[in-house]
Amino acid sequence: MSYLLAMSKRIIQQIIRDKRTIALLILAPLLILTLVWYIFGADASDPKLAVIHYEHSELLPAFKKADYKRMTPLQARQALADGKIDAYVDLKHPVDVHLEGSNPSRNGLVMSKIQKSMQEVQKISVNQMQDRFQNVIKKQQQAIKAQQQAMKQMTQIIRQTAPSALAGLDLNLPQVGQNMPHQQDGEKPQLDVTYLHGDDDLNTFDSFGPAMVGIFVFLFIFMIGGVSFLRERTTGTLDRLMASPIRNDQIIGGYLIGFGLFVIVQSFILTCYIIYVLDIYNVGSLLDVLIIVFILSFSSLSLSILLSTAAKNELQMLQFIPLVIVPQVFLSGLFPTDTLPRWVQALGNLMPIHYSTEALRNIMIRGTGFSGWWFDGLALLLFSAVFITINIFALRASRPVS
Amino acid sequence: MTYPIKGEHLYKRFKKQVVLDDVSLTLNEGEIYGLIGPSGSGKTTLVKILLGLEKADSGTVELFEQKPTLYAFRSLGYMAQSDALYHELTAYQNLSFFAAIQGLRGRKKKQRILEVAESVGLENDLKKNVAQFSGGMRRRLSLASALVHEPRLYLLDEPTVGLDPLIRRNIWTLFHYLKEKGATIIVTTHVMDEVSRCDRVGLLSGGHMIAEGSPKELTEAFHVSSVEDIFLVKGGERQ
Repeated sequence: MSYLLAMSKRIIQQIIRDKRTIALLILAPLLILTLVWYIFGADASDPKLAVIHYEHSELLPAFKKADYKRMTPLQARQALADGKIDAYVDLKHPVDVHLEGSNPSRNGLVMSKIQKSMQEVQKISVNQMQDRFQNVIKKQQQAIKAQQQAMKQMTQIIRQTAPSALAGLDLNLPQVGQNMPHQQDGEKPQLDVTYLHGDDDLNTFDSFGPAMVGIFVFLFIFMIGGVSFLRERTTGTLDRLMASPIRNDQIIGGYLIGFGLFVIVQSFILTCYIIYVLDIYNVGSLLDVLIIVFILSFSSLSLSILLSTAAKNELQMLQFIPLVIVPQVFLSGLFPTDTLPRWVQALGNLMPIHYSTEALRNIMIRGTGFSGWWFDGLALLLFSAVFITINIFALRASRPVS
Repeated sequence: MTYPIKGEHLYKRFKKQVVLDDVSLTLNEGEIYGLIGPSGSGKTTLVKILLGLEKADSGTVELFEQKPTLYAFRSLGYMAQSDALYHELTAYQNLSFFAAIQGLRGRKKKQRILEVAESVGLENDLKKNVAQFSGGMRRRLSLASALVHEPRLYLLDEPTVGLDPLIRRNIWTLFHYLKEKGATIIVTTHVMDEVSRCDRVGLLSGGHMIAEGSPKELTEAFHVSSVEDIFLVKGGERQ
């Protein structure tokens, strides 16, 4: 036990004394997270829009002044060419949209904004139609009343002259009038959206953020842990450990605890940063996040120690990153994987980051407790257990003494 | 008489190259044994096999008259050819770590660290980063790390390489002091003036132990003026 503590104490001392590494472990993720936050926009800036030919249009109320600048056709064309606005709406031919169009995501924003206005436009035209119908209906009702009047007069005349001829006729008349009010209070149905998880403010960064904490932890522990174990081999300190009474599992265990403790600090800072500074959507508990990240660091570290046996120097260690980290990022669930071929999805299921992403999303966005992440946590532990076992056997192979 | 280390009929080959070919070596308790030979003669491999860091293809190794166990490593101090230090840490932190994994703790540990630092002349540099150390200082710190837990048996692979003559002499004085306290030391070297300070030497050449004995015996037996010449005599014989 004291060997284990001595090992992990040394690891922590090494990390703390290496200021560059500390900076890399903490400042680099903060910087990247901030950049990503800006890129995927906590608030994607509202698209800038304009309307032209609005003077005589009845649809103008749908295009509020705050959202749509009023412009002359000439101004609008110029502004569009200069990139000052993203699109303008021509109300002369309802409804023509002219897009700037060079940026697909921007186009999407513009279109969704205009769609919202189009709902207003529809409401207006529906109201107009209702008005028109009501006019028509009123006129019809008047006509019907006039007819009824005429009929009454006729029936009276007929009653007086030939009463038996009326038997089947007069029942139909009042029904027309009764149907009318129904159609009038049937308003256009409103779309009422409720969210099971998150809310309508949830943006891309909110769903990226939790996953990125996991990715950073995995990436940095992989690099630093792998390199420091590799150095242990190349500088000969591992031989010194091997010639001491420390057990193989205590060596690996010391590494796991040392780096694990550091990961707790690192991910605590990262998580606090994205929750409280970048104001990411979070409903889960910070403790759950830390537990998952702690477990994730085990699988990252044990994998990197394992791969460090196959590397001769630091450069060869870093060469594993494109192979081990990049595919994990793409298949982690950061991007939708539902449509990928089966085998690619299966590959994704073999990757630790896949589980951390799932678990961190469950915790932070869906707010699930232990029931939501125990499976992913277990999967991560399983990965670690496999890697650690292989590591201990690999060490044993280089140390013939029991 | 007990034997702190005993290797018998050791064979080792790396791919096609034979490194050790039937080498046997037995250390007597309380002696300084010099393992000498040109570079590439298999000295380091032999030391690693005796330590249990490498497995011999055949042959047996006994540490303190039993098969090597982790527990036996407590009484063993190993200094590798490379400095094997943590460069991010201070000298004190290095010694403290190596003492801790050898089972030292608390006041005893601190006291031993100060003692060994003094014995290699680093007592004023304990707070410095190893990264700032000169080659000679690293070598001495590496030696101190092997001494810190007061082992009964030392395996030192080229402990004095790169050190200036004065420090080298101090270190040999230290070895003799350790020996007087009852330790057994096996040291590899190819500096010939160190050979005469050993009680017994083994000459390793091309994977064979070509001669073994006290420096005086050897020079007399081979009718040469220095142990170094035995390599020439033996080399001449083979051709």
